[in-house]
Amino acid sequence: MKKFKVNSIFAAVIAFTAVNTNADTLKIAIAGPVTGPVAQYGEMQVIGAKMAIEQINAAGGVNGKKIEAVLLDDVCEPKQAVAVANRVVNENIRYVVGHLCSGSTQPASDIYEDEQIIMITPASTSPGITERGFKMVFRTIGLDSQQGPVAGKYIVEKVKPTKLAIIHDKQQYGQGIATEVKNYVEGAGFEVVLFEGVNKDQKNFSALITKMKSKGVDFVYYGGYHPELGLILRQSREQGFNAKYMGPEGVGNKDISTIAGEASEGLLVTLPADFTKLAENSELVNLFKSKNEDASGPFVMPAYAAVQIIADTITATKTEDTVINAEYIHKSSFKTPIGEVSYKENGDLNSFKFVVYSWHADASKTALAD
Amino acid sequence: MSQFILEFIQQIINGLTLGSIYALIAIGYTMVYGIIGMINFAHGEIYMIGAYISIVVIAALAMIGITALPVVLLLTLLMTIIITSLYGWSVERIAYRPLRGRHRLVPLISAIGMSIFLQNYVQIAQGARDIAMQPLISGGWRFGDAGGFQIYVSYMQVIIALVTLAFMILLSLFILKSRVGKASRAVAQDREMANLLGIDTDQIISITFVIGAALAAVAGLLVGLYYGIVNAYIGFIVGLKAFTAAVLGGIGSIPGAMLGGVLLGLVESFSSAYLSTEYKDVVAFSVLILVLLFRPTGLMGKPEVEKV
Repeated sequence: MKKFKVNSIFAAVIAFTAVNTNADTLKIAIAGPVTGPVAQYGEMQVIGAKMAIEQINAAGGVNGKKIEAVLLDDVCEPKQAVAVANRVVNENIRYVVGHLCSGSTQPASDIYEDEQIIMITPASTSPGITERGFKMVFRTIGLDSQQGPVAGKYIVEKVKPTKLAIIHDKQQYGQGIATEVKNYVEGAGFEVVLFEGVNKDQKNFSALITKMKSKGVDFVYYGGYHPELGLILRQSREQGFNAKYMGPEGVGNKDISTIAGEASEGLLVTLPADFTKLAENSELVNLFKSKNEDASGPFVMPAYAAVQIIADTITATKTEDTVINAEYIHKSSFKTPIGEVSYKENGDLNSFKFVVYSWHADASKTALAD
Repeated sequence: MSQFILEFIQQIINGLTLGSIYALIAIGYTMVYGIIGMINFAHGEIYMIGAYISIVVIAALAMIGITALPVVLLLTLLMTIIITSLYGWSVERIAYRPLRGRHRLVPLISAIGMSIFLQNYVQIAQGARDIAMQPLISGGWRFGDAGGFQIYVSYMQVIIALVTLAFMILLSLFILKSRVGKASRAVAQDREMANLLGIDTDQIISITFVIGAALAAVAGLLVGLYYGIVNAYIGFIVGLKAFTAAVLGGIGSIPGAMLGGVLLGLVESFSSAYLSTEYKDVVAFSVLILVLLFRPTGLMGKPEVEKV
């Protein structure tokens, strides 16, 4: 009996691998957090990429081949991301949509560049990723160095705080964007009274909040993700610390309202412009709706665009030689749901727009300024 | 009062809240070590399971229409303690008892395996997402003049401190006065001798695990109520901190675990306040190293005499 069980598991594993090594499909890895505290963002990426793949397959695929999505989980951890990248290499996958968190994208992209695998991240905004002269690495999202100034400009021109604190989670993404904001506001003559890191997975922020309260801080910018900021908001409200909070797109997730409740009302968030509002996307948005999926997440459309760019490139160049593909991406422009896309030398987008939103306790949001 | 003093008092309150949780969990480490000389690395996960169960029970009670706060809290406390204790008991039966009498590294590895197993089991059973819960108990007291810095003590902070204190007293009385408590002290002193004198040592060890798990369950419930967010990995860091607290206070000593927990909470709170949040763990572990340099057995630990 026991032996039978082992055999059947073994058979299942073989069957699973067999599906994966089907040579007649074009495999695209979707790499990002499927599990872990920021899995919601990974889900946005999957929703967008899968929709693009379905659409392309329904229209006949790429050069007669169907696209096959290979979902890989990096839990948003750099170590795990390297393991995922190695798996992509071993399974001979040549195209990656992902990774999601900048901290994972950075180490994984080293491997992709070495192995000449094309990687398009729809979510990583850390400038460091494209600062190394890589040829195979692209984004369909903006940069912290674009998002930071949008936040900074809003703080300087609209909020005009008297005592400003900037907190971050010491991760590549969070600290990166916090530093961008700090540079911007200091450049405009504002004083940052507190610039401090917290630990990822920290739960108790009461000491930090007491400190901000005693310094009379009236505005806090947080660079990081929603699980920590949600708790900071909740504990701030509890201590009667009523400063205004602001964060990057990493906090703009409906779970922040579940965690922080009423305390998330009025939170300022910079997010990519809402592509679902663009007139030319209305058909696509309806398609998402008909499948009961939410197209408004910040990474859904960028992920869709990433798959589309890969497919368009292979169709246009008629080859799966990734070096030729990458050259084509660099010098062409693509019409995607995130607008007309063209690339700089380093793989960054020529332009990408971030907008400031005001968050509500029921997890809806209102655009404040362009 | 000057603002500095008010702020200082607020940081003490913050530290005590944090320290109470550490202390509750630290007792589980210290009791198990005291009795079988083993570090139960799966204990942090028992606390995590306690937090999950408390949230599930609260949600279930709300679903069947029980919302009166005292009833909810009491039922949740009971259910959480019972179910979590079952986990603690099973972990001992499955992962440690079969290895009794082996080299002490063997159950240690088993404990690490159990810890990984429980994390993944909860993640698969409950989903990978963080589970968040709206605060059940909100509000608190404010002290100080309205214009300046006000000390804020939330009801939840007071509950955490009081519940911790109550369970500490109960546990101390139990260990000092009850028959089982006496037996467990005898087992801690000399297991073989206690066995020869007719004490069922296996049973005592089981009870130790159950008590440790029950206290971790209380900590899990308090944390679930206070922070309102759990995931399958919250046990790791807190477990590590509680273990540190146990070592700081003197591993094997129950009052030591209480003292170590509160001390660690205060150290973290003050280093966040007067240095930087970034350095709070650095300071906490530096204090641990300093204490161990001068008192290798921790603050309240007895020097270990090698038994011949």
